[in-house]
Parts: sequence; C-alpha cells; structure tokens
Amino acid sequence: MVPTSLFLALSLLLCGARLVRAQSASDLLGQGVRRYQALEYDAAAALLERSLARDSAAALPDSLRAKALTYLAATELFRSQRDSAMGAFRQLVLLNPRYRPDELIFPPQVTNLFQEVRRATRAIAVAVPPVTELRARSDSLPARVLASSLADVVVTLAHEDGTPLRELYRGPVADSLLVKWDGLTAGGTPADDGRYILQVTPRIPTADGPRARQVVLDVKKVMPDTLAWPPEPTFLPERTSTGPAFRSLAAGLLAGAAAVVLPSIVAPGKDASGARFAVGATVGVAGFVGFFARKPRVLEANARANASQRDAWKKKLDAVRTENAARLRTTRLVVRAGPETIADRGSP
Amino acid sequence: MRTIGLIGILTLVAASAAHSQGRPTLAFRGDAGFVWVRNDTTAAGAAGPVRLRGPMFGCEGRVVFNGFSLGVGLSSGTLQTADQAVKRDLIEGRLVVAARPVPWLEMSVGPFVRAYVTDTVTERWVFWQARARVEAPIVTASLTSYVELWRALSSDVNLVAGAGRVQGGEAGVVYRPPQRPFWLRLSYRLDDAAVRARGSETLEAISLAIMVGGS
Repeated sequence: MVPTSLFLALSLLLCGARLVRAQSASDLLGQGVRRYQALEYDAAAALLERSLARDSAAALPDSLRAKALTYLAATELFRSQRDSAMGAFRQLVLLNPRYRPDELIFPPQVTNLFQEVRRATRAIAVAVPPVTELRARSDSLPARVLASSLADVVVTLAHEDGTPLRELYRGPVADSLLVKWDGLTAGGTPADDGRYILQVTPRIPTADGPRARQVVLDVKKVMPDTLAWPPEPTFLPERTSTGPAFRSLAAGLLAGAAAVVLPSIVAPGKDASGARFAVGATVGVAGFVGFFARKPRVLEANARANASQRDAWKKKLDAVRTENAARLRTTRLVVRAGPETIADRGSP
Repeated sequence: MRTIGLIGILTLVAASAAHSQGRPTLAFRGDAGFVWVRNDTTAAGAAGPVRLRGPMFGCEGRVVFNGFSLGVGLSSGTLQTADQAVKRDLIEGRLVVAARPVPWLEMSVGPFVRAYVTDTVTERWVFWQARARVEAPIVTASLTSYVELWRALSSDVNLVAGAGRVQGGEAGVVYRPPQRPFWLRLSYRLDDAAVRARGSETLEAISLAIMVGGS
C-alpha cells in the first residue's frame, strides 16, 4: 500500500513539474511580449531569450517559437542590436520559410529587415499532414514544399535504408509547391509497410544554399477485406460407376464356377452328371446379363442438373473475382509523418 | 429325445425373436427337378455302383421374420436304373432354423431325413446339418446368385456299416420378376454321404423352383 502511494505521488510530482516547465516557456513568452509592448526592451529580450532557451521537452511549439523569434528580433532591433535582430530573423526563416511578421503589429523597419534577411537566407522546408489515409492510385498524400526564395529542388521518396523509391518532383519552387504522392512505387504497385523518407534537396547543393529537409513517413498498408470464394457445389454423379457392373459379372461367374466345381469339392473322385454345366452356364450368363444391365451409362438428368449448378457456381465465382479485384485495387495506406528534420549530408 | 429337445429350443428362440421383431411373413416354395443317385456302398452290391435317376418334386414352407426363419420341407420322387431293373422311392424331409446376420449370408441348422424305399427295405439317413449360404446380387433385387455349403454335425443310417462323413453343396440363381409376387430359382445340388466301411451315396439334383412370399 505504502509503495503504491509513494509511486503515485512521485508520478504526479514529475508530471506536475513538466507541466510547470512547459507553462513557464509560454509564460515567459507572454511576459516578454508585454515588456516589448511596454517598451522595456532589455527585460523583453531577456524573457524572450529564456523562453526560447528551453530544452526540447518544454520547448515552445513551432508557432509560438516563430512568434518569440519575431518579437526577439524586433526587440533587438529597437535595442540597436541589428546583428542580433538579423540572427533571430534568420532562425525564423529557417524555422518556417513561409512565415511573415504581422504588418499591423510590427512597424516597417522591422518587416523591412525581415524581408532583407529572408532574401538573403535561402531555406526550404516540407510540410506533411501528421496522419493521412489514402487509397492507392485514387488518393494522394499532400506534401507542401516551402522556399524562402526561388529554389531549384528535387523531392524524392526513399526507403529508410536510402534505397530510392520514387522521384516526386524536380524543378523550381518560388514560394510553395504542393507535391502529391499516390502511394505507389516506381513499379506502380502500392508501397509496402515500412518507413520511408520524403526528402527535399536543392538540385545543386552549395555551401550557402538551403539545407535539405526530410520527413520520415511511417506507411502501413491496410488490406481490404476480400470475399471468400463460393464453395464448390456437390455435383451429382454424371455416369454410373463401373463397380456394380463388374460385381454383377463376378457374382454370376463365381456362382456358375461354384456349380461346376461343386462335385470336386464335396465329393472328390466321384463321377458327376453334366447337369452342373447347365446350371453353371445359366448362372454365368446371368452374370453377363447383369454386367450389361449395370454397365456405366450417362445419367442425363444428373448431367443437366450439374451443368446448371456449375454455371451458377461459375457466375458466383466470376462475381467474387471481380469484386475482390476491385477491392484489392483500393488498397488503403495509412501514412504517419514524423517531424521535419534537416537531412544529413550524404543521405538520399 | 435330444433332437426333439433341440427343435423345441430353436422353436422357442424363433418364436421369441418373431415376437420381438414384429409380424412374421410366410413363404412357400414348390420345386420340380431331376435327381441322379450313385451308390457304391458295399450294401448296394458287388457288381459295381448302382446308378439311379428320376424326377423329384418338393415343397417347403417358411415363417420369415426379421433376420430369422423357420422352415419345413418335403421332397419325393421315384428313381430307377437305366434298364429299369431297380426302382426306389426317394423321400426327403427337412426342418431348418435360419438366421441372417448380414444380408448376404444365411446360416442355418436343422435335422434332415432321407429315405430310399423299396418294397422290402427302407434305407434311412438322419443327419443334423449346419449350412452357410452366401448370396450375391447380379442385378439388384431381381437377379441373385448364391452358393451354399453344408456339413452334417451328426449322422445316422440304418445300414450295418454306419454313417460316415456327410456333406454337400448347392449353387444357383434366383430371379425375382419386378412387381410380381413370385420368385424363380434354378439350382444344382450335390450331397455326398459316406458310410464307415467303404463307399458312399452321392445325390445330384437339378431343380427349378417357384417361390411365393417371404423377403
């Protein structure tokens, strides 16, 4: 009982601490913004820097981080720290090449400096929805490629180990571009389960050029339910079996032979009349009569019934085959996108 | 005395089986045939085997119930040699209790009496038979072949030499015309009755029978 309570208390304490720290980062941002609005730029700069300095666990989300960087850059500009202001804007552009400071909030000298930095900072980014469910061939995964300035890029999809899968786009991006992946490999088949890397790289990498960005895609194929094959019907025999005919023949011949050899078995060495041959022959002939009476023949009624049953079964089979083919064509893929990261040099 | 006791027991068993299995049915058979008898026993004479032949007629009635039957049969004929110098009457009587453990097999047991009657003497054989009969359909339910073998469990003859091994067999075919109440049977039978001293009496018969009723 005591260890359980202790464990619960510790867990709550840890969770609470994390919450407080996360809240602190946004609180610091709020306080920094208020100091900026109160024209207390030194205090504002200190608070904003502290809000941005949080580790990853308590870090601000990207939207608030962009806001913090914007206010920090403006604060530094008004503190006559132009280089620091440009540094903050550069981080902002790299964080989100499409971000623009609100012109209603920030004065022109701030937005002009941002535009100057944006033009000088060449950055690309890629944005993918966190979870996308798509039907191969008919739907597609949208990937928005963003560029701070005109950039010539290649968008590729590769396996986790770097093996190329498909090239999705090659060409210029002025501001943003929507690239779509239909869930198929280069061979035209739906991608298998696994991890893939969607990467945006500059066509001609340079030292001062934008750095390649990538998103890890976790792809899971959801196979559609297919219909079971209809069971093969039980067909009626279309011919009588040869067994009864031969059994009849055997019954006649054996009984006939028994009549003939009966004296040898029952009274060996004694003369017997020819009567046994007459009976033996008659029984033997009866066996032949039975053989021909029961010889295999086609059962027309059964054959007709089977043909009708077989046609109906084949129709069902074709219908199921068509339906299953249609269902298999609509294989669904669930794509979960990881966070966007900077691609390592040398990676695909 | 022993025979009478056994018949009584068998009759009781049959009656109780009939009672337990439901209503019994009756079957009758009438047959006509031709018989050859070859007798080379010492009693027949030193001149060699005596060969007799002649027509024979018989009938049999059976009470048939599920799996069991109880039958009584009687046959009679007059036999003579080819030169008509020797003449004998042949009379056979039979009581049989039969059971069918499986449809194709009939096992039966019962006393059999055969008598050769002349003006002066009657040679009488009495034996208890155990018979096994196997039937095989040639055309289902309408044409059936069968083979039957039997052997005497005990035998007795009023000849001085005494009875020895007695056995026999029969093979034939039964035809049941469709939707008719009667059956036809063609059969060949051979019985061999040895006497202890020397020789035997061999009886061959070919017969055509008509049967009514039964299963």
